[in-house]
Amino acid sequence: MKKASSLKIGISGVRGILGDSLTPQLAAALAQAFGAYLGGGPVVVGRDARASGEMIGQAVLAGLLSVGCQPVEIGIAPIPSFLFYVKDARAGGGISVTASHNPKEWNGLKFAGREGLYLSPPQTEEFLDLYHQGEFPLVPADRLKAVKTESRALEPHLRKILGAVEAGRIRERKFKVVIDCNNGAGAVLAPRLLEALGCEAVRLNADPSGEFAHDPEPLPENIGGLCRAVAEHAADVGFVQDADADRLAVVDETGRPIGEELTLAVAARYVLGRKPGPIVCNLSSSRAMDDIARSAGVPCLRSKIGEVNVVEKLLAAEPRAVIGGEGNGGVIYPEVHPCRDSFTAMALILEAMAAAGRTISELARDIPPYVMIKDRIPGSAEQAHRLVHLLKKRYEGKAKTNILDGLKVDFPDHWIHIRPSNTEPVIRILAEARAEEAARRAIEALKAEIADLQRKR
Amino acid sequence: MKLLKIGISGVRGIIGESMTPRLALDFAAAFGSFAGGRAVLLGRDTRISSPMLRAACLAALTSTGCDVVDLGVCPTPILQYLVRSQNKRRRAGGGISITAGHNDIAWNALAFVGPEGTSLNAFQGQEVLDIYHLGKFRKASADRIGKVGDGADRTGLYFEALARFVGAGDIRPARLKAVIDAVNGAAAPYLARFAEALGFQLIPVNDEPNGFFPHDPEPRPRNAQQVVAVLKAVGAEAGFLLNSDASRVSVVAENAEALSEEYTFPLLADDFLRRRRGPVVANLSTSRMIEDVARSRNCPLVRTKVGQSHAVQALLQEEAVLAGEGSGGVAVPAFQPAFDAFLTMGMLLSVLARTGKRLSRLVEALPRYHIVKEKIHCPPARIHSVVNEVKRHFRRHELDTSDGVRVEDKSGWVQVRTSGTEPMIRVIAEDRSPEKARERADEAIRFIAPLAR
Repeated sequence: MKKASSLKIGISGVRGILGDSLTPQLAAALAQAFGAYLGGGPVVVGRDARASGEMIGQAVLAGLLSVGCQPVEIGIAPIPSFLFYVKDARAGGGISVTASHNPKEWNGLKFAGREGLYLSPPQTEEFLDLYHQGEFPLVPADRLKAVKTESRALEPHLRKILGAVEAGRIRERKFKVVIDCNNGAGAVLAPRLLEALGCEAVRLNADPSGEFAHDPEPLPENIGGLCRAVAEHAADVGFVQDADADRLAVVDETGRPIGEELTLAVAARYVLGRKPGPIVCNLSSSRAMDDIARSAGVPCLRSKIGEVNVVEKLLAAEPRAVIGGEGNGGVIYPEVHPCRDSFTAMALILEAMAAAGRTISELARDIPPYVMIKDRIPGSAEQAHRLVHLLKKRYEGKAKTNILDGLKVDFPDHWIHIRPSNTEPVIRILAEARAEEAARRAIEALKAEIADLQRKR
Repeated sequence: MKLLKIGISGVRGIIGESMTPRLALDFAAAFGSFAGGRAVLLGRDTRISSPMLRAACLAALTSTGCDVVDLGVCPTPILQYLVRSQNKRRRAGGGISITAGHNDIAWNALAFVGPEGTSLNAFQGQEVLDIYHLGKFRKASADRIGKVGDGADRTGLYFEALARFVGAGDIRPARLKAVIDAVNGAAAPYLARFAEALGFQLIPVNDEPNGFFPHDPEPRPRNAQQVVAVLKAVGAEAGFLLNSDASRVSVVAENAEALSEEYTFPLLADDFLRRRRGPVVANLSTSRMIEDVARSRNCPLVRTKVGQSHAVQALLQEEAVLAGEGSGGVAVPAFQPAFDAFLTMGMLLSVLARTGKRLSRLVEALPRYHIVKEKIHCPPARIHSVVNEVKRHFRRHELDTSDGVRVEDKSGWVQVRTSGTEPMIRVIAEDRSPEKARERADEAIRFIAPLAR
């Protein structure tokens, strides 16, 4: 097989490998194109905690300056704080140097528009067109701006969260919380947020050095240290953030992960109890979201996979959506800002615990139980596309089908979903049912169908 | 027309046109590859465009695995001194000074400093250019990317060494007053420390390091009005004008006469060669004053092509005791083999203190020549052929063609050469009589002007 390219330039920004595809020349040219796309003005520049962030960040500054932008450098900043600051500071846009949950040999750039949202796919297309044209409107020396350094860029985000939750109520409970920042960008804000909420915060991996203490994907198998620490410290709850602090996984007071799908479910169920309204998630999120919405008498809207798609659906919802997110631990609470935000997620979960006077394991048990299995088979996007077409014909009439993003088939007691990966040459297949056994059967049945189709061709 | 000068000593261009982040990134990456992952010192002048080039240099150098010691706003001679002293402990791979020296604010440049603290020699410069043209730079993996350290506190070492070398003990008792115009350039933040280290009373002019040059950052009499006015008002013993990176200096005497930049070198040499004999290096455009001074001290004079790099290479090869040029740059290798305006000012103040003589007296003791410097703009593609035509024009004379064309006779000389920094032809003529100097220059210009159009 051809070696997969280590450079990804697409709708979720740019990612590459240092010492290989991600060079300062590339970063500077992208920054020039983005500055040209914005037409000058202030541009916020933040980064996650990776050690390579400073190098790439300097290239970004040079690129932005050369086209007449005024970079506002905020240093290491969690993604939600960065996005919030772009909007709060009335900047024209922002560039964050981050590779999210990729391993540390990676880094990349994400681009935000003036609303503090990632560029939408059409916006990204426009901006990349400028990049590919390769001619940037450089300004002469006397029109160059100076870099502005902002050391208090996290404050507006922190203030906003504290104002959006019942902070007083949380403080009264004096929760003991273990927070694992995995030495990522979350470390610069998570302990402060928890202290502001009156929690006793036990810090794990809270040095924003980018030297990840464990695999940056907050999956149960990667967070054994947090589970043990919660039990040892007899804490009320444990939280772990991903590398750029947009996603959150939760460990209950017994030291067990509640499952990444439940971060959003627990937060959504609590928010709906206070303020009903539509909720939004993607096609692969747990059916528990439908159950929660149904019992609150509100619709559960489903979008294509990808944060930008969830956000787009959420902002378009009428009446206004009250909460949204993804099953991977990404909670979007538009009252703070329409982006995935692990800090707001922590605050909402703590508020849910405080308001109900119940433990996090009890709150998790309130969520209808489902088991989701995520699997993958090798295959290109093109092959996935053909499979989706053929499978749709097979399932039509037997169950509810949806081809918004790949093919999702809803059966009364389970669902299956097949779609091409956005980042790798694989086809993702998912199934969810009430029990492990049934989910396993559903995945195997789907794989058998695929094998059958591939044989016949 | 995009103006760009790529040479062995660095790369120079106009911001927004030829000097782009991409160019700076690629050249800094080539230099980082040349430095082979050893630490690189980075300094800059105060130009508004310098922080942008600094960002590009930081990114590119660290991407090649070089650690960077960031000296912030730092005159080139201080950077060179620190590279050299670090290299004695084998720690520095070189330096980059972000400055366009005497060019106006539209320009900027990366000047490369080799591991020995001098401008690159021809072989080193060619190697950097080869790496640049090949485009294959060292690429450090994520855990090998260079780190950036703040080196601003190291600049103190320089002034300590300078004070020892020029003898602050001689200067302090003379209670001298000096007006220094830093043209809001890289020297601005260092003037007070300089005065304190050497023990004279400083009256600073244009010492805001804001990059707005109140006049051309070229040390020469026509830019000296402010220094002259201040000097008259306070009654100082000396006035000095610097270029934007403090490599060159011109002098104003205590009687408020703004001296041609040609005087800086012979004034210093006249005293220095009395105390220390040895070969002297000057370029082909430098006034004959230095010939007379060297001869009177029985020191051989070696003439080189124009440019600091040529002067310094000749200086090292000839084991010279002094090198300088008519633009006000002087290098004293016993301190460091680089043009250094602080050293030059310090040594001139030391002459005043030790001899008790006034600057105007020292000037009177020098032979009087008159020098005319003109420049003619010319499309870059035609410059060399025009200069060749000039050679033919003067074919009946004895020519020195090591840098353009130079015609010399008993009473004077004229030189026609290409500028090292801009698309221009320079015409320099010198004679004992001002009229004859003018005439020599005019003859060349009359011939060139129609060809250069």
